Amino acid sequence: MPGVPTDGGAVGTVVPFSREPGDAVAAPPVRTIRHGVAPPVSRVYVSFSSGNLLQVACLGPPIPEGGGGRGAQEVAVGRVVEVNLGGGGSGPGGADVEEEIDEAEMRRIQYGSVPAFALLQSRKNALADAAAMSRVPSVSEHAEWWQYVLEYSKTIGSLLGNPDSLPAFMIDDPKTILKDREKPTSLKASWELLEIFFVDKQLKSWLPERFVDWLADYDSLLTKTENTVYRTLTNFQKKLINLQIVEDDPDYWNGLAAALSVGWLDIVVNMLRFHGSYQLDQMDNRETENGLVEAVAVLVSTMPRMRPDLPTGKLGHCCKTRPDFIKALEKWRGQVNKLECSAFWIQCGHQKTRDGLKNLLHIMLGNIKNLTAATSHWLELFASHFLYIRPFTVGFEGMNHLAQKCIQLKPSTDNSGLTGLLGGILSENPEVVLAECTKSFGPWMVTHAMELLTADNDYADMMLHEERPNIGGISLEELHRLVYAQVLCSHSLTWQIAPTYLSSCLNQGLGLLEILLLKQPIQDNRLVLKTLEICRLYELGNVSTNIMKIGGIYHWKHGRKGTGVYWFQQAHDKVRLDRIALQLFENIGKSVTDDSFKVVLSSFTGTEISRGPFSRHKKEGLVSLLGKQWNFSYS
Amino acid sequence: MADHSSFRRHPHPFSVDLVRWLPTFGSTGRLLAAAVHDPAASSSHIHLLSVSDPSTPLTSLPLPSRATALRCSPSVLAAATTSGSLHLLPSSFDTDSAVSVPSGALFHVGPVRGLDCGGGTGGEEWVTAGEDGRVHVVAGGGDGRVVARRVWEGKGMVGYQAARWASPAEFATGGAGCGVQWWDRRKGDAVVVQCKGIWGHGIVTGMVHSIDIHPSRKHICVVGGSSGTIFAWDLRWPQQPIPLSGVGLDGTAQPVCESEVWEVLFDNYTQSSDIISSASTRILPVMMCSEDGILAVVEQDERPLELLVEPCAINSFDIDPHNPSDVVCALEWESIGVLARGRDTMADE
Repeated sequence: MPGVPTDGGAVGTVVPFSREPGDAVAAPPVRTIRHGVAPPVSRVYVSFSSGNLLQVACLGPPIPEGGGGRGAQEVAVGRVVEVNLGGGGSGPGGADVEEEIDEAEMRRIQYGSVPAFALLQSRKNALADAAAMSRVPSVSEHAEWWQYVLEYSKTIGSLLGNPDSLPAFMIDDPKTILKDREKPTSLKASWELLEIFFVDKQLKSWLPERFVDWLADYDSLLTKTENTVYRTLTNFQKKLINLQIVEDDPDYWNGLAAALSVGWLDIVVNMLRFHGSYQLDQMDNRETENGLVEAVAVLVSTMPRMRPDLPTGKLGHCCKTRPDFIKALEKWRGQVNKLECSAFWIQCGHQKTRDGLKNLLHIMLGNIKNLTAATSHWLELFASHFLYIRPFTVGFEGMNHLAQKCIQLKPSTDNSGLTGLLGGILSENPEVVLAECTKSFGPWMVTHAMELLTADNDYADMMLHEERPNIGGISLEELHRLVYAQVLCSHSLTWQIAPTYLSSCLNQGLGLLEILLLKQPIQDNRLVLKTLEICRLYELGNVSTNIMKIGGIYHWKHGRKGTGVYWFQQAHDKVRLDRIALQLFENIGKSVTDDSFKVVLSSFTGTEISRGPFSRHKKEGLVSLLGKQWNFSYS
Repeated sequence: MADHSSFRRHPHPFSVDLVRWLPTFGSTGRLLAAAVHDPAASSSHIHLLSVSDPSTPLTSLPLPSRATALRCSPSVLAAATTSGSLHLLPSSFDTDSAVSVPSGALFHVGPVRGLDCGGGTGGEEWVTAGEDGRVHVVAGGGDGRVVARRVWEGKGMVGYQAARWASPAEFATGGAGCGVQWWDRRKGDAVVVQCKGIWGHGIVTGMVHSIDIHPSRKHICVVGGSSGTIFAWDLRWPQQPIPLSGVGLDGTAQPVCESEVWEVLFDNYTQSSDIISSASTRILPVMMCSEDGILAVVEQDERPLELLVEPCAINSFDIDPHNPSDVVCALEWESIGVLARGRDTMADE
């Protein structure tokens, strides 16, 4: 609120912004505002409007009485300017997300997640109400909770895909190693990671294999700077076009080893078929060699996998139970050993083929040295352990220990994004998980992922719901939701979905919702109606009355008297309606012939008024009607 | 009998305020016109879209401010804006030959929400009614110019929100707090009948958002407004409007929605359940869209038929005049929905 300047002489003192010399902080950007008010500007009022809009009101000195002669130019005495401070600010996505997903796509994800979020919250409230009433903790309901969260997770996960990136028409080139698929985003990768580790209880027994599948989908996103199996294969693919003798190139064997170590069996078998010994003119000379290559291919395609089923096109022998798997693994390893010791290797002419195939066999036997040499990133080494060395690793402790070992063998400098997230998950540290989500994936991710973290984890549940005095007595969950809601409010396309999130914040949500609604502009009647609809849904009667009154005054002052009176009527604003009635009443007394007054009177009273001066009879009739409407008595 | 309707939702960046079917056909099928507003850039456009791929515009016409009304005649597409200007685009969509009537003292100041084509001798005159209380009739001057004639200067005493021609000389308007009015140009450009409307239990008055008049029953208007109110106004009984839907009305079916009804249109596709005695006494089925995301067909004394229930508001819709089973709607969450209704069960009997 502006105050009266205490010192009459020092009106408009400007306090300089002091900056220490050598200050690391850069000077704030200075913007010039064109306001068109003739100098001197005596008063400036500043306030934030909706979103990133700053409203600056510049007022010049009041025009002296009798000043401004006839024909003087209209000089603006005051003007309100709206400055848009947005652009380049923090959006709803974090660092990684903003590079991959454009704004319209992010908004589409935000819109789509609202119904899923609202449904989960209403289910949570229903459970809490039932528990409060019956006072008996319902075990079955709590046991089902993770299924609701899984449904929520799948709904949101389906929004994160990018179906448009698939090429419409694909020619199946027999020499492609890596098929064209939907372009992966790190947002979807991180979401799936959280779903695998925190929510999906059906997966508990074959979590290692599920992780191998995840890595197959998202290996390309692991790191931008270091090498990965995906990168090795794409580089080789580029070389392949010009390569005559495939088996002479060491990159061929490196690619095979890499793909085998992370369990991309179909790619391995496909690549083995590129071997020169399959060519028709070579078949007779290199029979033994071809036989060995084929034998390895068959062994690869029959590798036992500890999982119930495989997606189409993938290879391996599925075993549903542990004893089945152990038996199959023993048998298979026996076959691998037998091949390794066979006499045919001496007859194989090509040195590189011999070494390459033997390397593959050692990988299949679970030799740590070969595995370490074949993989590029510690996550890939981690996955290869699940396939070849310790397929029964379950439990976060075991996995974390394994992860630490892999990191030691393959240290990595790039530890943000997905790798950081996985590190936090394995070390059973929800704080790290949340921090990584905030930094790399943004407020949208944090707000929605919190539900995944608390699905079955008591510690996370307690950590997120505990009320903390150092942030004003609200919980971490509420804090993150408020941050996200504020991001939504800053954009005029998304502010209408913010109330869903604000209403789930028990402490400060409703207060912020009221502020949000009161800050919406009232110039456009449609927008006011949308704002009032939200007030109605959340039962904020006071706020809607205030908005209607403000709208009424605005329209009245700008000459739209009919609309102004309409808003006053909606707000049941007796004070102002009585004042208006008094004004109109006085005008009737002056025998008004102005047709426009008749129109408004006729519209308020619903009777037809013809042209021509008022008859006395009609005047009395109108007086009584007006009196009835506004409880105004005229004696 | 299953209803083989299909609904496709197409994302369209930025706020889609209004959407209409175009009478012309493009090379890939039917065409749509959509009024779009980008709040970040503060720019507004009319986009020409193909139904098969509504996400990418074929051409677009820039507007000086946000569009508040959009209407198509067989040869012209017209858009009115929030600053009070009117823009007419010929059906060839040559944006260079677009004509506009600028806002100002001679035309409108402020949002123009009432816009319709159909008056005058050739049926090519446009009526515009704005929140500033003015009503104009705009006609082509013949040599590419347009002439706007002021029919009424309300001086802000009334704010009009909707307008619709009934015949070449009569039109209806509706506004905030003043109900609906019937104008006759033959009787000196004046309101001849008006009605406050019927707004539901405990509500004195409301805002009219949309009016529609059936081409074969020109004495009946259907009106959609605030608080989920839809009523029909028969000029033969001008002070007895017929409620079709509303909050707390006794005797009618359950209200189809409780929030603003943004648009109403007579639905030619839905057969009236009472075909035999459908002469003059019953109100034909009406389609409506609302702020709480409902697209439904409402019929007098019948249960409303919900076609869509969306989590976001449906701001505008249009029924394809060439093929009334197809409906296009503008959804609040930056998307355009196309609904193709299947064979109605009643049509078989």
